[in-house]
Amino acid sequence: MSQRPDNKKFTRPEGINTIQIDAARQMHMRTVQARIPGGGTTTQSSTSQYKIPQNALNGGEPRTITTGRMFSAPSRSPPARHICNNPNNPPCANCGGVIIPSPKAFLPLEDRPSISINNWTISSKKRPILNAEELNNWETKELRGLGALPEMIFGNNFIRIMNTEHKWGIEFNTLDALKMVSLSDSGIRVAHSKVWLDSKLQQQQQDIMGDSSSIDMENSLKIVKNYDWTYSTEYEGTVVGDNKDTYSFKVDNNLKLPIDKLSKQDKILYFDEMVLFEDELADCGVSMLNVKIRVMNERLLLLCRFFLRVDDVLLRVYDTRVYVEFDDNVVMREIKKYEGNYNDILAKHHISHSHDPKAALRDSNWVAENTPIVDKRCEIMTFNDLKQ
Amino acid sequence: MMQIDRTITLLKQGKHITEEAVYSLCLKSQELLMTEANVTHVDTPVTICGDIHGQLHDLLTLFDKSGGVEKTRYIFLGDFVDRGFYSLESFLLLICYKLKYPDRITLIRGNHETRQITKVYGFYDEIMRKYGNSNVWRYCCEVFDYLSLGAIINNNIFCVHGGLSPDVSTIDEIRAIDRKQEVPHEGAMCDLLWSDPDDVEKWSLSPRGAGFVFGQNEVNQFLHTNNVELIARAHQLVMEGYKEMFDGGLVTVWSAPNYCYRCGNVAAVLRIEDDLQRNYTIFDAVQPQDGVGNAIIPTKKSQMDYFL
Repeated sequence: MSQRPDNKKFTRPEGINTIQIDAARQMHMRTVQARIPGGGTTTQSSTSQYKIPQNALNGGEPRTITTGRMFSAPSRSPPARHICNNPNNPPCANCGGVIIPSPKAFLPLEDRPSISINNWTISSKKRPILNAEELNNWETKELRGLGALPEMIFGNNFIRIMNTEHKWGIEFNTLDALKMVSLSDSGIRVAHSKVWLDSKLQQQQQDIMGDSSSIDMENSLKIVKNYDWTYSTEYEGTVVGDNKDTYSFKVDNNLKLPIDKLSKQDKILYFDEMVLFEDELADCGVSMLNVKIRVMNERLLLLCRFFLRVDDVLLRVYDTRVYVEFDDNVVMREIKKYEGNYNDILAKHHISHSHDPKAALRDSNWVAENTPIVDKRCEIMTFNDLKQ
Repeated sequence: MMQIDRTITLLKQGKHITEEAVYSLCLKSQELLMTEANVTHVDTPVTICGDIHGQLHDLLTLFDKSGGVEKTRYIFLGDFVDRGFYSLESFLLLICYKLKYPDRITLIRGNHETRQITKVYGFYDEIMRKYGNSNVWRYCCEVFDYLSLGAIINNNIFCVHGGLSPDVSTIDEIRAIDRKQEVPHEGAMCDLLWSDPDDVEKWSLSPRGAGFVFGQNEVNQFLHTNNVELIARAHQLVMEGYKEMFDGGLVTVWSAPNYCYRCGNVAAVLRIEDDLQRNYTIFDAVQPQDGVGNAIIPTKKSQMDYFL
């Protein structure tokens, strides 16, 4: 867009230029094509449901993919039974390969990848950070009271797991996660807080003695807006659907996620990963909520992770895992919380071949493995237990 | 001068600059910056640019869309480095322009132009990756110490990276700061680079326990005391590229489109005309490609994995 010397303020032109639409279409085409294994250039079918006839699947060899793949396919593919709900989903193993939703297809087009297996439908959406209007709405209405919102809010992103038969689902979205941020003082302070405050108090003393009163320092050293500036959220997902109040999770801490089943390298039919919000804590660390999902023929696993690092102060990881076994209609949710002192955990990082010993502290997997667990809970839901 | 032109050409192509060349550039720019005041006077028309964060290709777009340094005066509000993949090239390009056109480009220090922050947020790592040692990082940090703290356009518009400080009520007080040092953890110099506007009644402490937030009253007071009409600052990501606050008394300008290669935001620069009219130019991120059409910015694509 060019400068508009006639206006005092820049205003967006009404509508979108055709050239932009065309560029966006081309970009979308490229992204969609890039997702097709083998870099195929075929145009996708434009039907809204892409279902593979069963006889094409059972008869003969499963279709092989010619290009190098990240994962070796299992020796014998199970019969396909899933449906790609979005024609832009690249074809899957039986219809052609792995589904990896595009991270970039937006403006003005929107991509909503989705897949169905049995009576389960999994969908996700990725969009840019909130615009000024949306942000204002969140600040003044949805999240009123929460001081400054995180710097990057991917407020239109979500991953949803829905059981269409029982009309029950669980989704992970940004707004509900931020609604759980505490509106009281977290008690956490950045590492240099004490030095900073002391110097201000000292200065205040000098000002009193010198009788110069530029500003009311005593007042200014109070926190006016109290909220948890680390955006720590114990979000465990939002239960959705017509029957969201009918079925409920039951706590059973003896249960464990079936690591053996989940460790199997079953073909991933659908994978997506997204950030829901992120803040750099004014360059004093990082606070991030991230969610990812992988769907295989028989089960799925979702991990929603809140990761907090306040440099030289503390580390925190809150993990929520959702596991669904499609044939049994069993949903498990596991919550694990880790928290520890920054320097204690840094000290565990003995071997530092890297020039940057703190790199490990930016890796949430490493942090989760090396930080003491402070809370753990496991829940199960089968559609048999009705809520009281 | 020949050498600077050659370096500019190399930088625009994202090519390697030798350690010796960086050293010589840094030394020359220190000598030049040393002579500048803490708050530089700039005349209209001028284009104000916000955070760049090592997004070299977007910086090139910025010059492209806003007239170019041959024809236009620029003020950069800091945060040239960190986050992006081309911090060094972006910073060197700016200091090359500064050396070539000293009166056409003003560089203000941002909170990322410090040793401590660049060690954590990418610039240090980038230098280690590109050179195998930290010398180039050290040369650049020495230049950071000489960057201005602010600028004043036609005695009417005050430019700074972060915001106001309770220790500063007049621009003259900023002129009195000894700026040639690493940014301290507290005090006026720190506040100017770090503080944020917010809808608060008066100066208040950030809930983080360090740093100030200021509101409309402080802005009005500052504008009145110094007889200026606008504070132009950067420091905070804005989806639309710019955001005016407090009845137009303060503006945030953000010039890194698709920040961190994934935020999807647009970027803006603000041109101040001779009659102080404000014109915003909005631009999008580019997807730079190499000679054979491959994207050369490693996008943070979802990497499928068997996570547990």
